Amino acid sequence: MSDLDLLLSVAAIAIVLNGLLAGQQLGRWVLTALYALQFALLFSIAPGTDGAQSAVAFHLLDNPVGWQLSAFGWFFAMITIGIAGFCAAYAAGEWGATNAGSGLSMRWLYAGLQINVTAMLLLLSAGDLISLFIGWELTSWAGLILMLLGGGQALLAARRYIIYAIAGGMAIFAGLVMTAGATGSLQYAEVAAAIASVSTGTLWAITLLFVVGFAVKMAILPFHLWQPPAYAFSPGPASAFLGAISARMGLFAIGLVVLKLIGLDGFASLSLWRDVINLRDILLWAAAFTAILPTYVAMRQNDARLLLSWHGVGQGGYMLLGLMITDSLGSAGGLLHVFNYATYQAILLMAVFAVIHRTGTADLNRLGGLVARMPLTFLAMLIGIIGLAGLPPMNGFVSKWMVYRSLVTEGMPLLFVASVISTLGTVLSVYKLLHNTFLGQLRLEHEYVKEAPWSMTVPMMLLCTVVFVTGVMPGLVLGYIADAQAAIGLTPVAFVLGGIESKAGSLDMIWITGVLFAGFGIGAILFYLMGGRTKRVHQLDNYAGGHFLTADVRYQYSDNFYAGLMHRIRPWYRGTFEWAESALVSAVGAASSAARGFFEQANPALWVLVGTTLIVTWVMWHALG
Amino acid sequence: MSDNELVNQQFPVKVEQPGGSGNIFARVFDELTAFCRSRSLFILHYCTGCGAIELPPAMTSRFDMERLGISPMVSPRQADILLITGYVSVKTLKRVILTYEQMGSPKYVIGICSCTVNGGMYWQSYATAKKLNDYMPVDLYIAGCMPRPEAVITGLRQLMENIRRGEANGWQDYYQRYDHYLGHQQRLFGETWQTPTDVIAEAKHYGLFSNETLGEHTKLLQQHQKPLEALEMRLGLDSKDKVEP
Repeated sequence: MSDLDLLLSVAAIAIVLNGLLAGQQLGRWVLTALYALQFALLFSIAPGTDGAQSAVAFHLLDNPVGWQLSAFGWFFAMITIGIAGFCAAYAAGEWGATNAGSGLSMRWLYAGLQINVTAMLLLLSAGDLISLFIGWELTSWAGLILMLLGGGQALLAARRYIIYAIAGGMAIFAGLVMTAGATGSLQYAEVAAAIASVSTGTLWAITLLFVVGFAVKMAILPFHLWQPPAYAFSPGPASAFLGAISARMGLFAIGLVVLKLIGLDGFASLSLWRDVINLRDILLWAAAFTAILPTYVAMRQNDARLLLSWHGVGQGGYMLLGLMITDSLGSAGGLLHVFNYATYQAILLMAVFAVIHRTGTADLNRLGGLVARMPLTFLAMLIGIIGLAGLPPMNGFVSKWMVYRSLVTEGMPLLFVASVISTLGTVLSVYKLLHNTFLGQLRLEHEYVKEAPWSMTVPMMLLCTVVFVTGVMPGLVLGYIADAQAAIGLTPVAFVLGGIESKAGSLDMIWITGVLFAGFGIGAILFYLMGGRTKRVHQLDNYAGGHFLTADVRYQYSDNFYAGLMHRIRPWYRGTFEWAESALVSAVGAASSAARGFFEQANPALWVLVGTTLIVTWVMWHALG
Repeated sequence: MSDNELVNQQFPVKVEQPGGSGNIFARVFDELTAFCRSRSLFILHYCTGCGAIELPPAMTSRFDMERLGISPMVSPRQADILLITGYVSVKTLKRVILTYEQMGSPKYVIGICSCTVNGGMYWQSYATAKKLNDYMPVDLYIAGCMPRPEAVITGLRQLMENIRRGEANGWQDYYQRYDHYLGHQQRLFGETWQTPTDVIAEAKHYGLFSNETLGEHTKLLQQHQKPLEALEMRLGLDSKDKVEP
């Protein structure tokens, strides 16, 4: 039994344990510890050695099927298990007790989480295209368990999700069949070797089928509509887990198939109109638009969960953008963004669900001023949005810097501008999130709100530490990324503990953070040591143009945030993709009712006779002519 | 003491005290602090009347008060100067006083136009407060109907000079003789008048509590004062409050 088998067995047994133990609070803490065990087991696996090779192998229709964890999959697996552990801890204490009391099945939630982790581990350690497909389908259906738990809106979202997921799965299956036909194998190495001899037309078809299938999971435009509601309306920890890592399985698969199997040369050969546009450009621009449009849709949301989930779509665009630059710096930036994004998206969703836990709402028009009641949750969200907005010293800055830098040095100025526009939207909308939830006027009904319990704040604070530490010392993560890059045939990034040290550009976050804190430090010394005093005032001792404030009067408005900007940009994207989706639904509906109409004819025999006569006539015409 | 004598009375010049912070360097930097303070002033414009029209030219490129280190500010908490440009009606005056009390010390008041000095052309109006310095200490008046931007700039330069010499101490007077100002305010607004700010506590905070801070008027205030409604801003971590079920 290899190390990988041990990990997968523990993960599989853990599903059963989750179903048994999650009912009690103590059991939930034991299950959290179980994730720590899986994390430790993962770290005992050295990718590329015998330990990473599963002993389980069998043949399916003469094709060998097996599992082997590469450094690329290991990197994603590390994030998956880590985030799942934090989510399990978050729900273990008061959150679980309260929500179990209101009818949410903790057994299903915890088992669902572990099923997701196990399915993802199977996907990430897939050793060939068949096991990849098995893992892919398991992951898709596992996600559905968590979405269905939410009830209400979540059910509609889950239905939409499963339609998209099945369509994506079909595309991947078709790609699989075509690959087998064109290369005669489904093993990574053999496919990669045979791909050079595949005709361009077939290669186009294979690549498009795979990319579309994986892009559905990744929610790349125009396949993104399912994701925000499906992730947003899952129960708290499930939403944090799905939002943080689930969609990145698409990026993993794209990286594996496009970069490792089809290869950079094969990929570059896919071009249109005498090499004016190639598939890489199309993917880059799809990624860029995915980074921009959902970000501005996020800005429009009034539900904090939806706002964050729309950002999930947008940040996925960043990751694909980075990976598809395919140079060492950019692809490392894209992969680093997977890690970074997972950490702060989990924090942000945890903070939002902590607010929901205390106030019962995530409506950004019904909150405000909570910083005075929930300071730790505020701090968590603050650190999270600094990360999401990509500002130093948090880790989001490093990955975004790498993508920017790489776009500039690789000669893609328009894409650079596009990513900057996306970041602008991110900064604006995360400010809306923080402002409407925590700043401004505290509402009368939230007078007695308390800070979230420690079982929820401690996981948030620990993740904040991760965000900060990996922001100051990105080298801690970049080591794993360099290995992952090597595993899919990219040039590993040259890194140091503080960041990047290469010809393409240098970044030392230790210095940047030092200078930043020196600036704050000088300010703090001037203020606190030279007589600066602070005074806490009553909320109604506030300036509203000299108006005398009372508690029942709203003097701070959060509705229709960024009205001016929205007025300018709304016509550009209003409902475009909803329109496209409903047109597709209508077309399918029309075709199926036409088919049904045919079979429900009172006398179909007549039509069969007419059809047959026409065909016979046509055949005879040709035979005689 | 009649009103006239009050107007003519020179405010006693007092050196700002360190306030018992035990900072042994406090006096060493007094001149430097005063100089720096005079070169970085933010104005909150409380534009009540026609004099406001003279401020845009004073602010913008022609007279450009920013070259003196003076620029506009949007909230009283960050502002140094409260600029009142014209007549103050009884209703407006309440807002002006609230705004003044919300400013952090040291703070300075400039009254622009004759209306703030003596009611000006509204002298006979039943609804206009005649003399601003009855209700709050005014550091500088810029008289005229209306004063030209040159006069505004000259006035601002005079205030800067007063601050640099440590003579613009009207704000201390408000704490030291709060009872006097509150008396005038109560005369106009009635004895139930109150603002959300706590001037007496601030007087103690700044070490400016004197035997004229309290008096019959503050006694009246404490009699009629209603506590502010819920929603006091404080950290909720050590919450001893009841929690909603």
